[in-house]
Amino acid sequence: MSRRLGWLLATLAVISIFVGRPLAPWVGFGLALAAALAVDRQVLGVVFRFGLLLVILFSSAVAGAAVVWSSDWSSGVQVAAAMVLRLLVLVIITTLLARNIDAEAILRAGEKLGMDRLGLTLGLALNVMPQLVEATRHVVMAWRVRRRSVHARAPSVLQLPEVLLAHVARIADEAAAAAALRGHAALLQRPVAVAAATPVVVATGRPGGGKTTAVDDLIEDLRSRGRRVVGILQPGTFHDGRKVGFRVRDLSTGEEAELARMVTREEGEHGTRFQFSDEGFDLARRAIARSRADDVLVVDELGPLELRGQGHMPAVERALAVPGLAGVVIVVRSQLVPALLAALEVDDAVVIDVTAAGGTARLLRALRLRPHPSGR
Amino acid sequence: MVRDARPWTHAALFGCLWGCLELSLGTVLHLGRVPLKGLVMGSLGLVCLVTLRRLQPRPGVCLIAGMVAVFLKVFAMGGLYPGPVIGIAGESVIVELIFTATMSRAAGAIIGGALALALNPLQMVLMTWVVAGPEAFRAVVNGIQAAAARIGLAGLDGQSILIALMVVSGTIGGFVGGASWLLAGRVLRRLGRAP
Repeated sequence: MSRRLGWLLATLAVISIFVGRPLAPWVGFGLALAAALAVDRQVLGVVFRFGLLLVILFSSAVAGAAVVWSSDWSSGVQVAAAMVLRLLVLVIITTLLARNIDAEAILRAGEKLGMDRLGLTLGLALNVMPQLVEATRHVVMAWRVRRRSVHARAPSVLQLPEVLLAHVARIADEAAAAAALRGHAALLQRPVAVAAATPVVVATGRPGGGKTTAVDDLIEDLRSRGRRVVGILQPGTFHDGRKVGFRVRDLSTGEEAELARMVTREEGEHGTRFQFSDEGFDLARRAIARSRADDVLVVDELGPLELRGQGHMPAVERALAVPGLAGVVIVVRSQLVPALLAALEVDDAVVIDVTAAGGTARLLRALRLRPHPSGR
Repeated sequence: MVRDARPWTHAALFGCLWGCLELSLGTVLHLGRVPLKGLVMGSLGLVCLVTLRRLQPRPGVCLIAGMVAVFLKVFAMGGLYPGPVIGIAGESVIVELIFTATMSRAAGAIIGGALALALNPLQMVLMTWVVAGPEAFRAVVNGIQAAAARIGLAGLDGQSILIALMVVSGTIGGFVGGASWLLAGRVLRRLGRAP
């Protein structure tokens, strides 16, 4: 009970800093002292140290001197005194927080407030600090060993941030793997649910190997059997024999729009080498949303953008939840197959390399289509 | 089933790096009363945010990294002077908004950097007013006007000086944002993740 009261007093003390009344700093200081006594008395021993008090007095004296210079002595002394008190309040509250909150407490608070992801992220940041400091030490040590003379070190000093940032990214990758193994669901992307009994076929193959062509053949075949095929195709656009972008085609209406244009790496959007068109995304969203029971849904293709939950993914997510779809064909590059399978909540997706011989026929077999309601 | 937790672990790690820099270098610069400390620390924060967004171009990561850095800054022993905390929070919000609006492009790094660092003088003014009070604030404005008069800019009011400072900070921020984007590209290549 007294701890709760202490934290309440601490909150009021922080609020008092922002109140402009002459008495507010004194009240705030009193509240902060009471909070420290209620929560953790040892805080006062940490705060009232000579060095720290000297810094506070020096900062306040500078502010006071500035006021004396611009107006008069009494105002200067008043400002300096108020600043000493405000800084003492801040130091007491900070020390209280630092001594009483650890990663576990943050996790618990995050769970209580329904902010599991933020709680886990803050907890991870606290836990990983020693590893980060160690990584920094190793980076600097390696740089000093490799560049023994000061003359040789100077030009390579600019590489230090690059190497350090790369190390940080690698530690983040390791932390992600650890989070997945420990089942920290709040940090993981929610998997995309697929309606029960819908056969899912992943069509893949090497880049430029003819994935879209194979899927286009499949669509013709399905239509000749009386199947309604909905979704999108993304044929490439070419200039001088070089792929320069993609268009998107609504399989129901045949309508087309530009989806992506290849640009330099610096100009690319969402971390890709493409600039995307809203018109293309809108067309794709409408096309995918036409999915109904007994339709075959074709999505050509899902890329890194979708696997991060952006681009076509929200529309695909809604379409995959439609009950009674006859089948789903999703096209991805071969290196994205594991990420796609991880993103889908499906037990028995079939993966087919459609760029190998007989790809279209194998796609058709994998769909295991039920007899069409029309009897064809 | 292993699903992707990387955006959030990257946000935690890059926020932690930023927070550690604020705890160590930031505290030293603050206590040493080093001029342009806000600009230096703001630039370092920008490097962390831009690299993070280029590695994980997912909306929200910069905001989370900023919250992590704020959280660590609050833990700095005797370091809860609210200025840097507000500065960190403001910078992460601005960079997040601009990157989201520009779809994580290089332009976002430049514009976001410019706006984030332009906020620096404004934050300094605000915090002087809050912590030291209106009297001290007026004294600082008088001091800046006197300094401006000495370099031939007599007659400038406080508002004009503030805007001039914001423009200079913003320009530096734009350059730092652009350079951070290029640096992040080098990090991507080093990690073998260049698209």
